[in-house]
Amino acid sequence: MMARRSSLHSALLHGFMLLVALVCIFPVLWMSLIALKTVGERVTGFHALTISQPTLENFRRLFTLIPLWSNLFNSLFTTIVGTGTTLFFCSLAGFAFAKYRFPGRNGLFYFVIATMMISAEAGAIPLFIIMRRLNLINSLWSLIIPRIATAVGIFYLRQYILDVPDELIEAARIDGAGDFGIFRRIVLPNIKPALASWASITAIVRWNDFFWPLLFLNKNSKYTLMVSVSMLPVSDGLATPWPIILAGTTLVILPAVLYYLGMQIFQKSGSFAGAVKG
Amino acid sequence: MTGAWKKYRIPYLFISPFFVLFLVFQLIPVVWTLYISFTEWNGLGKPVWVGWDNYRLMAQDYMVSDALRNTVVYWISGVAIILLLALLIALSLNSPRLRFKRFFKTTTFLPYVCASVAMGLIFGMLFDENAGLINEILAALGGPRVPWLTKSAFAKIPVVILFTWRIIPWFTIILLSGLLNISREYYEAATVDGAGTWRQFFSITLPLLRHIMFFCMLTITVDTWKMFNEPYILAGPGSSNTSLFQLMYQYAFQTFKLGYASALSVILIVILLSISVAQFVIRRRQGEV
Repeated sequence: MMARRSSLHSALLHGFMLLVALVCIFPVLWMSLIALKTVGERVTGFHALTISQPTLENFRRLFTLIPLWSNLFNSLFTTIVGTGTTLFFCSLAGFAFAKYRFPGRNGLFYFVIATMMISAEAGAIPLFIIMRRLNLINSLWSLIIPRIATAVGIFYLRQYILDVPDELIEAARIDGAGDFGIFRRIVLPNIKPALASWASITAIVRWNDFFWPLLFLNKNSKYTLMVSVSMLPVSDGLATPWPIILAGTTLVILPAVLYYLGMQIFQKSGSFAGAVKG
Repeated sequence: MTGAWKKYRIPYLFISPFFVLFLVFQLIPVVWTLYISFTEWNGLGKPVWVGWDNYRLMAQDYMVSDALRNTVVYWISGVAIILLLALLIALSLNSPRLRFKRFFKTTTFLPYVCASVAMGLIFGMLFDENAGLINEILAALGGPRVPWLTKSAFAKIPVVILFTWRIIPWFTIILLSGLLNISREYYEAATVDGAGTWRQFFSITLPLLRHIMFFCMLTITVDTWKMFNEPYILAGPGSSNTSLFQLMYQYAFQTFKLGYASALSVILIVILLSISVAQFVIRRRQGEV
C-alpha cells in the first residue's frame, strides 16, 4: 500500500515536472524551427512543426531589413559596459557601507533601500526631458549612466562584503595599502562568486531591456537589437513574414539562452536567499 | 568639521555616485512629474498651469478606467498564478524523490532569460486567431477558434500567460532558496511524530516560507503595476489590454500630452508608494523591522 502510494506520488511529480519543462522549452524550440523555414512554407498551426528545406535565408534577409551589425553592437556595448560599471560602483558603495564607520551610515543605508520603493519608470517623462537637455537622446550612455549604481546592487553586494574578514583588510592596511587598493586587491577577489552571479543577472536584464532604449533611442542605427526586432512586424509592409520575424527573435534570445546554459546561472540557487530575505 | 570631513572622506566618496544619480535620475524626475501633472505641456515651449484639470479629465476618460481595470486584473491574476505555480514547481524541485534534478532546474529556469519582447512576438503568433498553434490544438480537441488578440474579451489572457510564463522561474528560484534554508530536522522530527506530507506542508513549510512569500507578493505587485512590454507587443483592440504604465507612455510620447500623462504617473507613484508603506507597516507589526 505504502509502496503503491509512493510510486503514484513519484509518477505525478515527474509527470508534472515534465509538463512544466515542456511548456518552458517549447516556445523557444518552436521559434528556432520556424526561423529555419522558407518564407513561402506554411507556418500555420501544426504545419509549423515540420521543415522541408531548412534555410538560413531568413537571417540573411534580416540584414536588409534592419542595420543588424550596428544594432548588435549597441546591444553588446550597453550590456557589457552597463554591467561592468554597475558592478564596480555597486561593490564600491557596498564596501563603504559594509566596512567603514562614518556618521549617518545606517540612515543612509536605509535610505538606499527605501529608494527601491519608487521605480525610475514613474519619472519617465522628466527623465526624457533631462536626457534631451544632457544631449543623451540617441546616445547609448543614456542607458548606462542612470543605472551605474543601483540600490539592489549595493544591497546585494554589501551582504557578501560583510563576510570578508576584517583581519584581511587590517593586514593590508598595515602593509600600506590605500582604501582603493584594499577594495581592488582584498575585497573584489573575495566576493568573486557574488560578483559573477550579479553580473549574470544584470547582463541578462540589460540585454533584454526594452522600455528605456525605446524611450531614449529613436534612430534605426542607434536602436538596440531588442528595439529593432520589436519593430520587425511593421517594417516589411507586406503580410506578416513570420519566419523572418522569428529569425530576429532567435538572434535576440539565443545569446541569452546559450549564456545561461554555459554559465549555469541559477544552479546555485542558495546564493539568492541572502539577497532576497532582507 | 574639516577634520571630520577628511577622516570620513573615503566612504562618502565611495557611496556618492549612488546619491548623485538618485538625485538626478530619480528624485528630481519624480518631483518634476508632480509639477508637470498640474500643467498642460507638449514638451516644447512653456508648461501652462491648469490646476487639477488633468486629474478631473482622468475621471471621465474611459481609457484610464480601462487601463486601471486591466492593470488590476494583471496584478491579481499575476499574484495568484505566479505564487501558486512557483511554489508548486519549487516544492517539486526540492522533493528528494525527483530525479534528473539538473535537467529540470535548467529547463524550468529557462524562460526568465528570454526577452519578454521577443517572446511576445512568438506568443503573438501562437495565439493568432487563424494561424496560431493554440487554436489549432483547440480545434483538434473539438473546441472553438478563439479570437485571442482581436476581441476585447480575450485580449488580456495572452498578456497574463506571457507575463507569468516568463517571470515564474524568478520566483521559483527565490522560493526554492527559501525551501533549501528550512532545516531537514524539522521534517525528520515531524515524521517521527507521525505527521504526513500534507500536515508537514501546512505546519512547517508554509509558516516558514511566509516572509519570503510576502516578499514575492510585493515584488510581483510592483512588477505588474509597471508592466509595459507584454501588452505593448501583444496589443489587443483599442484599450482592451493596455496597462496603466503603457497608457502613460502613449499619452506622453505618442500624443505628447505630457501634463496629462504625468497625472497618470502620479497615480502610479501613489499606488506604488502606498504598497511600500503597507509593506513597512505590516513588517513592523510582525516585529521584523
